[in-house]
Amino acid sequence: MSDDRLTADSPLTLPGFFDALADGEFLGGVCADCGQVLLPPRPACYACGSRSIEVEAQPRTGEVYACTAVHTPPPALQSDAPYTIAVVELDSGGRLTGRVDAQFDDISIGDRVEMRVREPTPGERSLALGHELEWPVHIFDPLDG
Amino acid sequence: MPQPVIATVGASPIGRTDLPGRDLFSVALAEAFEGLPDPVDLVGAVYVGNQSETYEHQIMQGTLMAEWAGVGMVPAERVEGCAAAGALALRHAVKDVRNGEHDGVLACGVEKMTAGGTGGATDALSAAFDRAIEQRSGVTAPSQYALLASRYLHETEATEADLAEIAVKNHTNAAANPRAQFSEAIDAETVLDSPTVAPPLKLYDCAPVGDGAAAVLVTTAEIAADLGVPAVSVDGVGAAANNVAVAERDMTHIEGAAAAAETAYAEAGLAPEDIDIAEVHDAFTVCEALLSEAVGFAPEGLGYQSHLSPEARDDGWTDVELSTSGGLKARGHPIGATGLLQAIEAYEQLTGAAGGRALDGAEHALLLNEGGVADAVTVVHILSAGAEPDSGVATGTKEVTR
Repeated sequence: MSDDRLTADSPLTLPGFFDALADGEFLGGVCADCGQVLLPPRPACYACGSRSIEVEAQPRTGEVYACTAVHTPPPALQSDAPYTIAVVELDSGGRLTGRVDAQFDDISIGDRVEMRVREPTPGERSLALGHELEWPVHIFDPLDG
Repeated sequence: MPQPVIATVGASPIGRTDLPGRDLFSVALAEAFEGLPDPVDLVGAVYVGNQSETYEHQIMQGTLMAEWAGVGMVPAERVEGCAAAGALALRHAVKDVRNGEHDGVLACGVEKMTAGGTGGATDALSAAFDRAIEQRSGVTAPSQYALLASRYLHETEATEADLAEIAVKNHTNAAANPRAQFSEAIDAETVLDSPTVAPPLKLYDCAPVGDGAAAVLVTTAEIAADLGVPAVSVDGVGAAANNVAVAERDMTHIEGAAAAAETAYAEAGLAPEDIDIAEVHDAFTVCEALLSEAVGFAPEGLGYQSHLSPEARDDGWTDVELSTSGGLKARGHPIGATGLLQAIEAYEQLTGAAGGRALDGAEHALLLNEGGVADAVTVVHILSAGAEPDSGVATGTKEVTR
């Protein structure tokens, strides 16, 4: 078992994934054996154990699979609260959690959303470790209709 | 193989206390060993469930608790798995005794959650979630479980009022448990009118923050008989890890819990309908519903009926009584100690020491302790009343040895 892609410039590692995201590329791992989408990409498929993982661009659109709002945040994010959080199922079938730029009462399961990335806020930067400072934060915008 | 049993138990008070973790542990240990030989004479290894070093800025909890117990020069380690740490410690103790490696092992858990206030606990618990995607999006423990609840209410006929009734039941049960953090019954309106924490979950859907410690001696049936203490046998143990990120799991079929339970049932030779009482990990009300389904007590989508009496539930439910201790919700949830507190409830129920909350005739108990939002890691133990000394091939001495 070896993989020569496990370097910080490879999207199979977190620095590589977030660098690509900052450059406008949203990449996922896709299992060559079972098709499972892995967000972020990683060297092995949790669904079947395969290590044949392809890195593929992911769609930024999807729908809300579950949602809530944080009323009691970590202290550094107090000024943001309440903020909306959702699990989003992308059009590729992959799922990931993220903030939604909308009031909780204005979104529902099944709503269409689109992902964008932004710089960390000062509060988020205060929580970031040194190696995370330049990593963008992803957020979902509701899509009308 | 030796038959592992729980031979004695003890716990500190649960809630906001003046005592740091090691002193809470001492209180728990003193109760457990009252009237027995000292720990140094019975304990060959120590496992300590402990969620986070951030509360007290202290790791080395294995060494520290062994030292405070007066048990030096034995294997001792902290076990970590967020809220499942306590049951992971118990699992290690059971394995050591079953394997014949030690004939007495101390499984304990300790957490000083109130040390950093609510903000400190929020931060410490958030460390259980995926750093790359979840933490950086600002998730919290209540919001993670709220995502599960959101999906559960979407897919089933359950309502927020049903979840509230789970909290009501567990507060009622806690009122009969002298170990409980909360001793007063509540009504559904209290739950439904409490402040929103992460919709659909409200304050009274959430287990409280609290300090506490618990200690359990796992030994052989022979030694328990020699000590003259009531013992319960540990007949099955299962554990399973699922993904850290909630989004990457099945959010309404708690697969890790089902896998852990399947292993435990197989080891014990028992089925869900054989279980009389169960402590499932009701850190949030929705957990009791989801986990009742995962371990086979309830049909799919009907776990929310856990608050009803067995005869009032729909067909397909077993007769199990859930969270007789009051559960995490009302007995309390000092994270690392919780898995052992569940074991203490089973021990008391199965040895006739549960007082006014005793379930007559209870023979088998299931304990489910999980960490990292539902089934990131799950541990299931099945305990049975009436541990008998092994009648088969002797695998250890009957002497109390280290």
